[in-house]
Amino acid sequence: MTNESLAKSKKPSLFRRILALPIRHLQQAIGSLGDLWRTPFTSVMTIVVLGISLTLPATLHLFVKNAQSVTEQWDSASEITLFVKLSVNDKAAQNLVQRIGLYPEVEKVTYISATQALEEFKVLSGFGQALEYLDKNPLPATILVTPTKRASQVLAARELLVKLEQEREVEQGKLDLEWLTRLEAMAQLIEDIVLSVALLLCLSVVLIIGNTIRLAILNQKDAIAVMKLVGATDSFIQRPFLYSGVWYGVFGGIFASLAVFILAEYLSGAMNQLTTLYSSSFELQGLTFSELSLLILLAVLLGLSGSYMSVRRHIKAIEPTAD
Amino acid sequence: MIRFNNVTKNYSGGFLALKQVSFELAAGEMAFLTGHSGAGKSTLLKLISLMEKPTSGSIQINGTELASIKYKQIPFVRRGIGMIFQNHNLLMDRTVFDNVALPLVIEGYSHKEICKKVEAALDKVHLRNKMKCFPYMLSGGEQQRVGIARAIVNKPPILLADEPTGNLDPKLSLDIIRLFEDFNAIGVAVLIATHDLGLIARMKYRTLTLKQGTMITDGIVQGLQTSEPTYD
Repeated sequence: MTNESLAKSKKPSLFRRILALPIRHLQQAIGSLGDLWRTPFTSVMTIVVLGISLTLPATLHLFVKNAQSVTEQWDSASEITLFVKLSVNDKAAQNLVQRIGLYPEVEKVTYISATQALEEFKVLSGFGQALEYLDKNPLPATILVTPTKRASQVLAARELLVKLEQEREVEQGKLDLEWLTRLEAMAQLIEDIVLSVALLLCLSVVLIIGNTIRLAILNQKDAIAVMKLVGATDSFIQRPFLYSGVWYGVFGGIFASLAVFILAEYLSGAMNQLTTLYSSSFELQGLTFSELSLLILLAVLLGLSGSYMSVRRHIKAIEPTAD
Repeated sequence: MIRFNNVTKNYSGGFLALKQVSFELAAGEMAFLTGHSGAGKSTLLKLISLMEKPTSGSIQINGTELASIKYKQIPFVRRGIGMIFQNHNLLMDRTVFDNVALPLVIEGYSHKEICKKVEAALDKVHLRNKMKCFPYMLSGGEQQRVGIARAIVNKPPILLADEPTGNLDPKLSLDIIRLFEDFNAIGVAVLIATHDLGLIARMKYRTLTLKQGTMITDGIVQGLQTSEPTYD
């Protein structure tokens, strides 16, 4: 008769043990929650550190997300600006606008006359009164051309620009694609930085949790030795510690979610001020429900892996001694 | 139940703790293990409870050859041995009930069964009224009895006691030994390590004596001289 069959012969039946397993898990989960409660200082410290470590990448993600939505807006509305020759009068320019409006590639044409341009410049530049001393309006009339969706692709837009520049009233055309590609590259760079920072912070979270659990295990060293003596398996002993890791993850994740929410609220005020200055409408998007759940799930996974690392190393090492 | 066959234990560093020890403790037998400190008592108990591995020779516990045991199986072998210690080894932050219930919780008994068995075990050691107490509220003798209740609660075939009367006065010591006799009467094999020779002399049980790692006597100790007075 092997030891295991011997042990089983006195035990409750396998079926009943399997039935009791979820109850036991629940008990140990609640029990480890109680353990955290009994050491409030350590627990809160760990949770806050975990939360802050997760807040940083989550906030950066929020920025990247919003930046993307902004650049997408710009991308779809790529405009061609045409400066009309100074010698061309208002009527001729209007004529040009009508002709351009008939282009199949053009979605919308807006005409800004030289006078309008000056007015606008007065308001926005802040030179105001000083400009009235000019005896002649130095600004050209401008035509803003919005290409159709198809024509706003980089190559098509370039072709359209060339075509428009051949109009004889046009002094110069401008299609600013450079800054768009630059912006995209910059956004990509920031995204990469965010990703690597996030990875580093996740690693530190794992290590922090691992260390906290290690201390908890060493605190319980005697109790663990006693449990081993009365026949507890390693998996029985390690379960409460794994649950502690999960709880740290849950609370740290919730903390991070709240912190991101508060930060977003706080920053959206400043952001709104900035965007009104640029006279663009912009609403800071918060984290969606699924992103928040993902954040908490990530925190739980990190907590679990941190405690698992610790538990694997340290529980096996504790052996009961007779003295 | 317990079978030692030419067991030698050599600690790293060259200290020879046990030399060619052979003995057998049958099911339902009760015996004392004695010897001066350093004679190898603790080593022998550690070998039985799988805290140490023998250098050579073989040990069988409840029919299991310990040499063939892997790390993962150790807990299952230990469940077949009730262990009692001089320092009680109780969990100080848990109640008497929780301490005694620990082996049952580990084995996955239902809550109802645990209550029933713990109450029965505490009844046996006359501590049922202390169920809700914490160990530090109890006297040394009471703590020792909690340890005994924990050792017997899942009815292991072997009871192993290391100096169970070490810190107790003679009257309490006798009470504890009487408890062991009760368990022995229902078929549990009991091995008690002690250096309380007076106690052994009056009990007339089989006694295994170790001296410098060698088993020098194995049998009922008769007419052992003791300078200690009787306690009755």
